[in-house]
Amino acid sequence: MKNKLAFSSKEQTQILFRLLSYLKPHKKAVVLALSLLMLTVIGDVLGPYLIGIFLDDHVAKNQFELEPIIFLAVSYFVIQILNVVISYIQLVKFQEIALKVIQQLRIDVFSKIHRLGMKYFDETPSGSIVSRATNDTEAIKELFVSVLSSFVQAAFLIVGVYIAMFILNPLLALYALVLLPLIFLVIYLYRKYSSVIFMTMREKLSQLNARLAESLSGMGIIQTFRQEQRFSDEFDKINEEHYDAMMNNIKLNSLLLRPVIDLIFFLAIIIILTYFGITSFDTAIEIGVVYVFITYINRFFEPINNVMERLAFYQQAIVAASRVFDLLDDDVVEPGQQGHDLTITDGFIEFKNVTFSYDGKTDILKNISFTVKPGETVALVGHTGSGKSSIINLLMRFYEFKEGDILIDGNSIKSYPKKELRSKLGLVLQDPFLFYGTIASNIRLLNPDMTNEHVMEAAKFVQADKFIEQLPGQYEQKVSERGSTFSSGQRQLVAFARTIATNPKILVLDEATASIDTETEAAIQTSLEKMRKGRTTIAIAHRLSTIQDAEQILVLHQGEIIERGTHQELLAKKGLYHKMYLLQNGIVE
Amino acid sequence: MKVFFKLNWFFKLRKKEYVIGLTMLALVAILNLIPPKVIGYVIDEMGSGELSPRSLAKWIGIIVAVAILIYIMRYYWRRMIFGSSNYLAKILRQKLFRHFTNMSPSFYQQRRVGDLMAHATNDIAAVQQTAGGGVLTLFDSVTTGGFVILAMAFTIDWRLTLIALIPMPLMAVSTSYYGKLLHSRFREAQAAFSDLNDKTQESISGIKVIKTFGQQEEDTADFTRLSNDVVDKNMKVARIDSLFDPTISLVIGLSFMLSLGFGAKFIYEDTMTIGDLVAFNTYLGLLVWPMLAFGMLFNIMERGSASYYRIEQLLSVPVEIDDMVDALDVKPNGDILFDIQQFKFPGDQANALHNVHFMLKRGETLGIVGKTGSGKTAILKLLLREFEGYTGEIKFGSHSIAQYKKQRLRESIGYVPQDHFLFSASIFENIAFNNPNEKMEQVERIARIAHIHEDILRFSEGYETVVGERGVSLSGGQKQRISIARALMLNPELLILDDSLSAVDAKTEEAILKSLKEAREDATTIITSHRLSAIEHAHLIIVMHEGTIVEKGSHNELMSLRGKYFEMYQLQQLERLVEKGGEVNEK
Repeated sequence: MKNKLAFSSKEQTQILFRLLSYLKPHKKAVVLALSLLMLTVIGDVLGPYLIGIFLDDHVAKNQFELEPIIFLAVSYFVIQILNVVISYIQLVKFQEIALKVIQQLRIDVFSKIHRLGMKYFDETPSGSIVSRATNDTEAIKELFVSVLSSFVQAAFLIVGVYIAMFILNPLLALYALVLLPLIFLVIYLYRKYSSVIFMTMREKLSQLNARLAESLSGMGIIQTFRQEQRFSDEFDKINEEHYDAMMNNIKLNSLLLRPVIDLIFFLAIIIILTYFGITSFDTAIEIGVVYVFITYINRFFEPINNVMERLAFYQQAIVAASRVFDLLDDDVVEPGQQGHDLTITDGFIEFKNVTFSYDGKTDILKNISFTVKPGETVALVGHTGSGKSSIINLLMRFYEFKEGDILIDGNSIKSYPKKELRSKLGLVLQDPFLFYGTIASNIRLLNPDMTNEHVMEAAKFVQADKFIEQLPGQYEQKVSERGSTFSSGQRQLVAFARTIATNPKILVLDEATASIDTETEAAIQTSLEKMRKGRTTIAIAHRLSTIQDAEQILVLHQGEIIERGTHQELLAKKGLYHKMYLLQNGIVE
Repeated sequence: MKVFFKLNWFFKLRKKEYVIGLTMLALVAILNLIPPKVIGYVIDEMGSGELSPRSLAKWIGIIVAVAILIYIMRYYWRRMIFGSSNYLAKILRQKLFRHFTNMSPSFYQQRRVGDLMAHATNDIAAVQQTAGGGVLTLFDSVTTGGFVILAMAFTIDWRLTLIALIPMPLMAVSTSYYGKLLHSRFREAQAAFSDLNDKTQESISGIKVIKTFGQQEEDTADFTRLSNDVVDKNMKVARIDSLFDPTISLVIGLSFMLSLGFGAKFIYEDTMTIGDLVAFNTYLGLLVWPMLAFGMLFNIMERGSASYYRIEQLLSVPVEIDDMVDALDVKPNGDILFDIQQFKFPGDQANALHNVHFMLKRGETLGIVGKTGSGKTAILKLLLREFEGYTGEIKFGSHSIAQYKKQRLRESIGYVPQDHFLFSASIFENIAFNNPNEKMEQVERIARIAHIHEDILRFSEGYETVVGERGVSLSGGQKQRISIARALMLNPELLILDDSLSAVDAKTEEAILKSLKEAREDATTIITSHRLSAIEHAHLIIVMHEGTIVEKGSHNELMSLRGKYFEMYQLQQLERLVEKGGEVNEK
């Protein structure tokens, strides 16, 4: 896996811009939120200004005529209330935008997952795919919710405060400009040093966790080999290194975050006092203006401290985003289709010299050719790794093949629309997967148009109705995660019903009876027979007894068909099939 | 608050750091009171025209001094307090790890690695937060809040202080009310998020079904529906969450208005100066943080205390199988007598073993065969003393295995488990697992016995190739052979192969068995296997079925019995033929 911990600033900018491009559909909302933010900044700047007027015109001069004071007080109060209301709307708006952006990102990830080929799932642990869609996107949310808005707010406020200061006293405002490069210098230094320290810290943390997870999984081995002490010592060492990395981070934060920003704050105060102090030697000073400046400087540093505290979130969001984009850019997509309006009518299947390899090196299928006439059954037998599952994987278009062709009704399967293939080919898997929901929802899947009658008919057809009707909730009986409360036979019957409900032309059975308990086996067998009637069937069979009536049996060995014929023909050949048959029936020569 | 008492041992341990840190924190709170006063004085002197270059320099000097002192002290208290909490995390992690190494297999059977990891990461992080941020927040909000109010009341005006504080309870009340609302809404948002997580997990587990039925779009629509719910629930949170800041600024705004209004009145009455008023307003600004902090504190402590409780629980799990008081400090060797009337795994209803008796002479090989769940592994686990609580006795040499020190018993046994677990380290380190300083020649010699040497040489880095989860992936057979080599490195008195040849092909199996025989002439070996070829040569073979021995004897004896063993043997002969592809392929 590409687990990059550090990115160059160019990469960071690229990732950031790609993230920001998700704001496009919300242009209006963003403009609105930003305008509201601007209004609150204006309010923040106006408030102290009014107080300044109050101090200068009234308090300092000891003139307290009621009317102007009431006017000032009312305006101040109105500004405060407006500010509170607007900033509330603005905060909610920013959250809403962030949540919608993250939702879009999640949907993108999820639909990308559905477009990925099976190969991706073979290679990637499911936990990490889930993480991409949920946890990583959640980390990015932080960027949109707090980081961006606090950055923007800081920028607005700095500009607003400077404008107000320039209006009040251009010269002093000019002096105060000194603060900006200082602050940027601190941010620059912090980012420069923190990125290294942050990286080591993350690296040490992941080492620590990896070490812990591995030791926990392998504790049995550690104990039988009496290596507890060594592992404890080694863990201590990593623990110590992690501690040191954390200490470095704490020291850096102590040196460069809050304390240094406070230092700059005091510098600002000193500039203001010195300026007014020196001016006061020659001319009288408007006390209110001093007050306003001091208040502005106080306000000015609030968002800066905010920004400094959020820099770490920013780094995390960038790392998470890079992982999400890696998935979105992955090119292990599922096989594409070229055709548009072909339909499958008969279900005539032909494999023509198909050669296939998963990794591009070892051929799993070598020059496979066979035909299945409409309504007939072909059984594939052979031991694990012989290539029978690969034949089904190709027929179902789970993997793309390069050599040879697979034809249905005379047309390549590559030329049918995906929808047509999916609706005409019904696959039953060895391990029937049930989704969280009800029995009915598992038969219906996500077809909202399928009526309850249809669901029940399908269940009846495969004879699943008997066990379903005995359940307390019948068709609305809850199915827990992976259907663990049902026996494998019951689960398989539901899976049969699910397949029959779509009325496929071609039936593909991938060891559909392999994991069935004996009590339900008889029921399964009769259902299977009924299902196969009138459908072209390709079946991988584990138990040879289940396929004796197949029109054709193909015996696979190391990717090749080494025997073919009916049950009787193959037995007469006394080849591999014959041996397998004897083995399964416990007959020893 | 209770969690602070529970952590008392740690505060005592780091007394110096906490005393220094907290003292500095208090000093900073006091020093912070000076600049507003200075500003007030300067303004007053400016107003009255008394300000001289000298006095201005004096005031500026004071601020510079205060600023530098605050910077230094801030740096140090952060180091002291956050450093200490970092130290706490380190020692808790260390304690947990040591504790984990003492826990018996049944401990690991009852818990999932993921959960144990969570304790060692999330819970420790929460406790660390309590000992750092928690202590800081509590102390700082009390001192800063207290000092500021005192300064306002005593150095400026106590009447104005009381008036300005009037709106403050409103802040406390409303934020705690929001907090309550937020709590349940936050839980709902979390639940929606976890639904979304489950949905994603399920779609990926059932990806084949979804693809088969061509329901990608429908499934994405379903995901969109759930993610809409996440947005809705989070918006509910946002609507409350966004109330905090505006409410605080509203309350502060009210305070400002009150203090300005009444301050102006007092100035008019000549009981206050403008400078005082400015200083007073600056002080008010300093009160925002302690108010906020108190709300946060509750949250930090709640989490910390729950987490610390979980860590304590985990650390209090007793060591299940311990040495006897007068345990023998010798390495066991000699004959093995297995004499078990009955044994159950903890928490199980049914017997795992009953009436299993056999005797194995030193230097002999025992083969155990039987289906999964027939009790093969249970015999080995008892021999390894991973479980106790059986009726009967197991003797190694002249003493029962319970009488030896656990470490010495393990020294005598080389165990190759079914699930060949390799560590993320080089092949060399994995083989020389019991002694990382082993000589290369010795490791190579052992690797040859396990027939893995040639395979290793074919890897790009040879013996330095990193394997395990984060290394190159090996085939099952290669992993098994490395596990065997790892056990052989011990040169154990008793070697146990727990179905550990299942993934190697028949030819390699034969070769390994042959070289094992040569290399371990006088040593005892126990092999369990599904495949009879692996135990055919054993001196004694026992056939297990439902927890007890059904047949016992040598290969020839068992064959002549024409019972279960015979049946299995015949079937497997045929299976091997089929595996080789039958005659068809041999043409």
